[in-house]
Amino acid sequence: MSTDTAAAIRDLIYKATLCLDDLDWQGWLDLCDEDFQYAIKAYSPEIRKDMCYLNGSREDLANMTEMLPKHNTDHSPLSRHTVVYEVGVDESSGTAQAVSAFTVHQTQLDGTNSHVDAGESRLFLVGKYYDKFRIDGDAVKFVERTVRLNTRRLDKGSHWPI
Amino acid sequence: MPARNLEKWNKPPAGLKPGEWVDSRIYSDQDLFEEELTKIWKKTWIPVCHESELPEPYDFRTMSIAREPVIVVRGPDKQVRAFLNVCPHRANTIELRPSGSFKEGTASGNPKHMTCMFHAWQFDMKGNCVFISREKEGYQDRLCPQDVGLRRLRCEVHFGGFVWVCLDDKMDKSVAQWGAGCFEALQKPLDAEPLEVFHYHKAIIPCNYKLWHDTNCEFYHDYLHYHNRITGFNDAYFARKNTGFPNGHVVVGSFEVQYDQYKGFESRKEVSFPHLPPNHWYMIDMFPGMNFNLRGSALRCDIMTPLSPDKVMIEFRGLGLKSDDPETRQARIEHHNTIWGPFGRNLHEDLLAVTGQGAAMHPDADRRRILHGRHENETIHDEIGMRHFYDEWGKWMDRSPSNPDLKYGEGHNYMAVNP
Repeated sequence: MSTDTAAAIRDLIYKATLCLDDLDWQGWLDLCDEDFQYAIKAYSPEIRKDMCYLNGSREDLANMTEMLPKHNTDHSPLSRHTVVYEVGVDESSGTAQAVSAFTVHQTQLDGTNSHVDAGESRLFLVGKYYDKFRIDGDAVKFVERTVRLNTRRLDKGSHWPI
Repeated sequence: MPARNLEKWNKPPAGLKPGEWVDSRIYSDQDLFEEELTKIWKKTWIPVCHESELPEPYDFRTMSIAREPVIVVRGPDKQVRAFLNVCPHRANTIELRPSGSFKEGTASGNPKHMTCMFHAWQFDMKGNCVFISREKEGYQDRLCPQDVGLRRLRCEVHFGGFVWVCLDDKMDKSVAQWGAGCFEALQKPLDAEPLEVFHYHKAIIPCNYKLWHDTNCEFYHDYLHYHNRITGFNDAYFARKNTGFPNGHVVVGSFEVQYDQYKGFESRKEVSFPHLPPNHWYMIDMFPGMNFNLRGSALRCDIMTPLSPDKVMIEFRGLGLKSDDPETRQARIEHHNTIWGPFGRNLHEDLLAVTGQGAAMHPDADRRRILHGRHENETIHDEIGMRHFYDEWGKWMDRSPSNPDLKYGEGHNYMAVNP
């Protein structure tokens, strides 16, 4: 495995985390290839089924994020804490994959009683990222991100990609 | 027009008739909440899950109604039955998992039995006690297993395969009778062939359960989703009828949604339900707090579990046809979740709004007056759905929703004043 490529993949995952935390949707999508696919999935022990809470192409995500200003939403910022656990690079096919763990904290702003709650940070989500990448020379881009949530009590939920 | 001082704030708007508002204490008072659990939630039919969640013999699901633990099991005869999930021995909760199968044995019990892990008492799928550990040594001949069977609960599978449970043995109506015709609009689409759950998530929201039901009952909150609902703002949309049925249920009539008017969405004509015209949208709000929402290709069902005056758990399910091929199922899932999923366009906004209501009507908040007074020929922005619901609430509680200090017959109830 190329140490440089693995390091570049780690950097890319962390850069994506920063873009998502900053609501920099275009910056995040710029890290993704044209055929990028995104999904948020979870297994429900209640109905004993694997579920897909959200999925879409790069274009779907661009449309979704473009429409966000036209929606009422909870603007409480999300902070993702990502740790890359595993990176696998296949130099021959120019592909790679990675598994990262994440927690997302939500710092209350305007989703509840802001006078009392604003400023409080609460655990929002726990899960893992399963990412796939395309390597083209020195360039690495996401081609797939599957967000697998452990959290299934999602209360108000969110309009934002995780 | 200046803002109102306290005296004016406490007066109802002069033009509204009695019964076109409710007192906010019905959303916040602890004693009223306890009374609701006893008088309503323990007396009426509650859908607790869908039969596809326990497809095989010995499958089970657990839940609660009005704080009472409930277990639903499918027997070897394929019948679905419900029991209190409480051991007759020492009142331990028998099954703690949300779902599973009794086919395999557990650490304390045998296969094909419900076993209380505490002292290993075991029960069959009909609720009979079939094993008491060291029975003779402890009870000699003083205790018969038939005297310590489980508490059986009224249970029916009805209306598209939902499992309904009633805690009251004396309930004098079947589920069909309880529905009183409100299912008719969707009976053909949902009973044509078996349905299957594909989506489940839960939310616990700091608001009274009725505020969520109100939101499901009124479409005036289209403005909450303005740029999303723009798809539907046409004459046919505003002509949708809200029709009240006996027992407090309301049906919202259909129209054809123009999904392709929302950026990034496409028409959903390709996938529908049997007997449902493509892209149509019906909704049934059932007393005291369930919602069935068939929108084009996906059925959504909200089941509420009130937890306290200012806290409710809402379980959201999405359903398609059991016969779906993978491509069709995927389309239903996507259609469901882009609108109603936890990361979808609408649900987050609806939950945000009732959270705001909950913050303003917490148990210690001053008394407020909540208006339900819009009249638009019983169409989509007419608040008749809420007036119909609260009239039923008043009957079950024997209290006036406008002033819960008064009995139902003493208060200014809208339906009593405007029959």
